[in-house]
Amino acid sequence: MFKFKSTIATTIGLMLILSFAWSGAFAESYRIIIDGSTTVGPIAKAFAEYYMAKHPDVSVTVSESGSGNGAKSLINGVCDIADMSRFMKNKEFAAAVEKGIMPVAHVVAMDGIAIIVHPSNPIKSLTVQQVRDIYMGKIKNWKELGGPNVEIVMISRDTNSGTYETFEKLVMSKKKIHEKSEYVGSNGAIRQRVQSTKAAMGYVGLGFVDRSVKALEIDGVMPEASTIVSGVYPIARPLFMFTNGYPKLGSHIFSFITLYLTPKGQEIVEEIGFIPVTRY
Amino acid sequence: MLDGSFSTVGVIAIVLMFISLVILLGPIFARGFGAFVFKGTVEYRKLMLDKFGRGDRERIIAEVAGAAKTREPVYELMEQFRVELKEKDYDYRSRYGQPFKELEELVEDLFGPAPGSSMPVLVRGQYGQTRWDRANVKLGNILFIEEYDYSDSSKMGELVLVPRADLFAGTSLEPLFRLLESDIEKMMRPRTTVYWRFLFDGSYDSHFFGGIWPELLGTFYLAIGAMLFAVPLGVITAIYLAEYAGDSRFVSLLRTCISSLAGVPSIVFGLFGLAFFINAIHVSPSKSVLAGSFTLALLVLPTVIRASEEAIKAVPRSYKEGAMSLGAGKWRTVVTVILPAALPGILTSIIISLGRAAGETAPIIFTAAVSVGKPLALWETMSQPTPALPWNIYNLATEHEAVDEIRHVQYGMVVTLIVLVLLLNITAIVLRARISKKLRG
Repeated sequence: MFKFKSTIATTIGLMLILSFAWSGAFAESYRIIIDGSTTVGPIAKAFAEYYMAKHPDVSVTVSESGSGNGAKSLINGVCDIADMSRFMKNKEFAAAVEKGIMPVAHVVAMDGIAIIVHPSNPIKSLTVQQVRDIYMGKIKNWKELGGPNVEIVMISRDTNSGTYETFEKLVMSKKKIHEKSEYVGSNGAIRQRVQSTKAAMGYVGLGFVDRSVKALEIDGVMPEASTIVSGVYPIARPLFMFTNGYPKLGSHIFSFITLYLTPKGQEIVEEIGFIPVTRY
Repeated sequence: MLDGSFSTVGVIAIVLMFISLVILLGPIFARGFGAFVFKGTVEYRKLMLDKFGRGDRERIIAEVAGAAKTREPVYELMEQFRVELKEKDYDYRSRYGQPFKELEELVEDLFGPAPGSSMPVLVRGQYGQTRWDRANVKLGNILFIEEYDYSDSSKMGELVLVPRADLFAGTSLEPLFRLLESDIEKMMRPRTTVYWRFLFDGSYDSHFFGGIWPELLGTFYLAIGAMLFAVPLGVITAIYLAEYAGDSRFVSLLRTCISSLAGVPSIVFGLFGLAFFINAIHVSPSKSVLAGSFTLALLVLPTVIRASEEAIKAVPRSYKEGAMSLGAGKWRTVVTVILPAALPGILTSIIISLGRAAGETAPIIFTAAVSVGKPLALWETMSQPTPALPWNIYNLATEHEAVDEIRHVQYGMVVTLIVLVLLLNITAIVLRARISKKLRG
């Protein structure tokens, strides 16, 4: 029995020590907490990596949970920067102001929403009207668009997504997406779904288009840097980072949020596949 | 007769389970193994030297120089073609301009930035392919164009691989493709590499290179933290329920509640954790390991309580009666006689819960997990979120912008998590066996 007592005593002792260590208040590194859009995520992650390499005493964490969640986190005061692929809604602004949070928008990059299909799909070009009809369920088969006789599998983002909201506004003109559409939680998930399903169609931010999927011409325009910047590509949008008030000049958040204005920052945006705000 | 058929069914069931286990775990281990042991190219050794200061500097520099020398003819051919492109007429330029640009990008993908060109900011652009398997995929992209044959309009197009050399047939660039195909090994110098530090390295450029230490550490913090809260609470509750509570209606209601809590989906715990711990009572200024641990503790609490209660109840009555008759009070009996006797059962419940806490994704999405972050120091867990294996596996599988490039990291994480949970369970079994043996002895 004695042995057991000592085992128990040691265990409890260890736990106590651990919990003390746990609650011990030591000096903490400066931290920037980022939450929000999966479209802006790659930019935020690359910025974070770049910034932490320059400032080893700063810790930057990035979560990708969708624009809606980003806004909520900022409103609840649990993140410093909310990545958003759409502008804040009236409701969100009101809720923020009520809680004493003043959202300030920083446009970090431009993006076009590319309509993607499997590369084996012969369709090359669609009009906005056609895309809308597909997602409304009016056009059900690729045959109706001059393709093979295969039923269209439409993939959409979840309603928490800023890409979804932009798509709804610019393509659907507030018409309802058909209930047969599949909803997935991120840009990457849409791409995977499309690259593994020949009849699928989806929409993603420009930075997520790669050789495994085919981006379609919309109204005869390819989504690429020049057409998006000039406003010719019809489904384009800015990508935002929101802060609570304009960050204090010289603070880490200030240097982080202005990174997109520096040549290096713009290079990062471009290397990831988005379009820098200014032509450096 | 009945006995015989029963045991046959039993044996069949066991064999089936074993086969499915092999089918399930086989590929996971085989692929996960690739994160630790693979053919690393010269780019890999260059990266390791630059970023982690590993390897014999002189030798690696010599090797890089050697590889660069074998790559020179490739760049020479390309430079020659670039000049040719400038000199030729408009038709020629418009015919080859775009394909050549694409080729340049593909070569950069394979070998890293061309000598003399500017260094990309992102680490992923600064090096060529570090793994031989990926290098071969990229080489395939250079040698063949994936085209689709849409001639049969009744179905989707068929994949056709067109040699890229055909596209440049008759130009000065044509020999480039044969050169790449025959000399790729000299240019990349693949060598079998054991990267056990995959477990203990931080990641570079959101998991493009490096290892999974922040995730591993975060998983440890979360699981251990959950136990710190769940075990004392759970065991005390179990003692209360088994020894003190009696059998009133209220207590049976309480038991029902605890049992139903065990059946609540984990995402509900996650959302509750976000709403309660973070948004309502602000245990930390943002998501944090602390909030995640609380949430995970709630998740495993029912298991700990029920299993510990059963273990305590299973202690023979004679032990308790013996202690009581020797004059020990109730509390003393519980602490000195019942708890030690129930310890194997309690420990099992703890370690099984530890495995569960380590592997859960949903409760930590909103309360603790991030896709990118530094490894945390112990005191930072109070206020900072952390990457964690289960969440980052999901993130790399679906959300990451370059999923296909870094599959090996994802597989490595999966294997690490499975081995971690397996080790915890084996510890439970061994510990349990040893303590039971001591108890009997």
